[in-house]
Amino acid sequence: MRLASETTPEALVRVRGMTKSYGRLIALRDVSFTIRSGEILGLIGPNGAGKTTLFECLSEVQPADSGTVSFGDSTGAQRLRSSALFYVPDSISPWPQQSVKWAIEFALGFFGGRSELYSEIVRDLGLEPLMRMRVGTLSKGQRKRLLLTIGLLSPQAIVVIDEPFEGLDLRQSRELEATLRKHVVQGRTLFVSIHQIADAARVCDRFVLLSSGSVAAEGTMEELTAFASSRLGHSPSTDFEEIFLALT
Amino acid sequence: MLSRNRAWAWLLRKEWRELMSSRSYWVFLILMGPLVGVSFISAVRTYAEASGLGGTTAGVGEAFSPLIGIWAPTFSACEIAAAFLLPFVAIRLVAGDRQSGALKLEMQHPMSTFVRMGAKFLVLLVGWLIALLAPLAGVLLWKSYGGSIYAPELLTVVFGHLLNAALTIALASAAASVVEHPSTAAILTLAVTVGTWIISFVAAVHGGFWERAVAYTPTAMVAQFQHGLVRLDVVLIAITAVLAGLTLAGIWMRIGIAVRRRAYESAALAALAAAMVFVCTFATVSWDTSENRMNSFSRPDEQALRQIRSPLQIEAHLSPEDPRRADLERRVLSKLRRVMPTLQVRYVSATAIGLFEQSQSQYGEVWYRLNGREVMSRATTPEAVLETIYSLSGITAPTESAEDIFRGHPLAVPPKGAAVVFYLVWPALVVSRIIFQRRIA
Repeated sequence: MRLASETTPEALVRVRGMTKSYGRLIALRDVSFTIRSGEILGLIGPNGAGKTTLFECLSEVQPADSGTVSFGDSTGAQRLRSSALFYVPDSISPWPQQSVKWAIEFALGFFGGRSELYSEIVRDLGLEPLMRMRVGTLSKGQRKRLLLTIGLLSPQAIVVIDEPFEGLDLRQSRELEATLRKHVVQGRTLFVSIHQIADAARVCDRFVLLSSGSVAAEGTMEELTAFASSRLGHSPSTDFEEIFLALT
Repeated sequence: MLSRNRAWAWLLRKEWRELMSSRSYWVFLILMGPLVGVSFISAVRTYAEASGLGGTTAGVGEAFSPLIGIWAPTFSACEIAAAFLLPFVAIRLVAGDRQSGALKLEMQHPMSTFVRMGAKFLVLLVGWLIALLAPLAGVLLWKSYGGSIYAPELLTVVFGHLLNAALTIALASAAASVVEHPSTAAILTLAVTVGTWIISFVAAVHGGFWERAVAYTPTAMVAQFQHGLVRLDVVLIAITAVLAGLTLAGIWMRIGIAVRRRAYESAALAALAAAMVFVCTFATVSWDTSENRMNSFSRPDEQALRQIRSPLQIEAHLSPEDPRRADLERRVLSKLRRVMPTLQVRYVSATAIGLFEQSQSQYGEVWYRLNGREVMSRATTPEAVLETIYSLSGITAPTESAEDIFRGHPLAVPPKGAAVVFYLVWPALVVSRIIFQRRIA
């Protein structure tokens, strides 16, 4: 189900027919969707839906079996992908023996990141008290904030973030929402996976609903509501959870 | 280009910091002191006793050169460290990125994985050079005792151990990249090391192709360098193996590439490396850097042998485990091959040990064929073999000059202060460096 026009002029990335299987298990089945400029696109799906696999195939951290990814008018060679998007994985603890400060500085230096945003992002994500701590000693939420910092400092226009709210408390989640929105206003495009549907409804401009490795629907909240209505034969509740259940 | 160089510089810094924060590296560094110390102290003591210390017959030490008496045993500690300690340090550095998830971030930089592997290799090699400060302390102690140092042979030993370390790093890197878990990589690396020992065993029993192949195993390679022999074929094959190992590691570090494609690339790499190794075996140039020319005949003998243009054929009826064959190979044929690259050697034996072939009339015979003439001798000493070759070729045997005789450097001095340096000062320095670094961090 494609609710948005495939020829939308502001489309930055077009993914077509992406498939990935692990032996007999098909993790992604003919996945197609579009990332538009200046939006927060949410990849929504339950655990095991294939969200992380999709992100990793998109960023070429693991190989897809088939499918194409085009950036503007060009179909993506690795160099093109790496200059267009940056992927922030979930549940990793990079350079565990190094300090948070050094890890950020390394990411800035190595990837040639946006050093002018360094202080602002560190402050926004509350990393100042953690700068001297080793990455390996951080809690899950602290590590998540470090990874988000690295992602937001990256030079690429599109940042793909796997579960940005995982491990954050309510206050931190709200602050992160504001921070992400601020970066989108400044010209960033974000593609985030969220399995907490309520969080997704608050944060994202558009959604890709993923269910058992397939795209069940793609569009804005209004478009998804309309689609759910046509499928159910009556108007569903405006609750995004109900819409999600109706479409998947 | 500037940003690429900048990224490379950052990567080097990162790899260096990762090495410096690796416990396995510091344990390795601490152990290097006592390991080298045991070897050095024992070597100096034996050298001193042979030179007349403690009432033993003075003059035996004249046969000794520091290369065999001191450097070979002292640096043998490096061989143990390279086989059993260095792989863990290398595996930790290579597999650590995959384990922590840092690889998923770093590989998003368009930098080639082979360049990345180069950074890791370079840092590990510098780490190894730091570890070589332990045997270097032995060199300084030896100098302080008044011992003789012949730089070319000492540098050859150091170069050999550097090449051996490079081989270990490349092998461990490849293993750490191919398999998922570091412990599996460690088992794989040690299995390869044990595999080369098995080749040595098979070569000793069966001879033939295995005997030729064993010359290129790390153990044999190090032994040649420890005798002051630099063989171009061995160096080229070692460099090929290092490059192949690092390339294999680079191939398998590209986790974003399909496994099947990586497997095909690995197979192509193996075929290319095998072809290069085969080509390298034809390089016959070698250098004897030992002060006592232990890998060469005397200069007059070499000049005389070079006059023989026709290919000399030697057929030795000796089994692989016969000590006379080892004697003939080590003391005569290895030297002969250096001056007569066209030399053809053929061993004939029905069994491995030769014990039950003694009754056969031909067993023990060594046949020499040159220009259609042939002669048989049972002697395996250098003097007897040379005499046979001269008589066969019609060349007059040169007279040995007194200047060519190596007089040795006897030194009857106990290893004073060495125990303090290797067992106390070295570990204390390493531990204080660890404490200092933790405070800085």
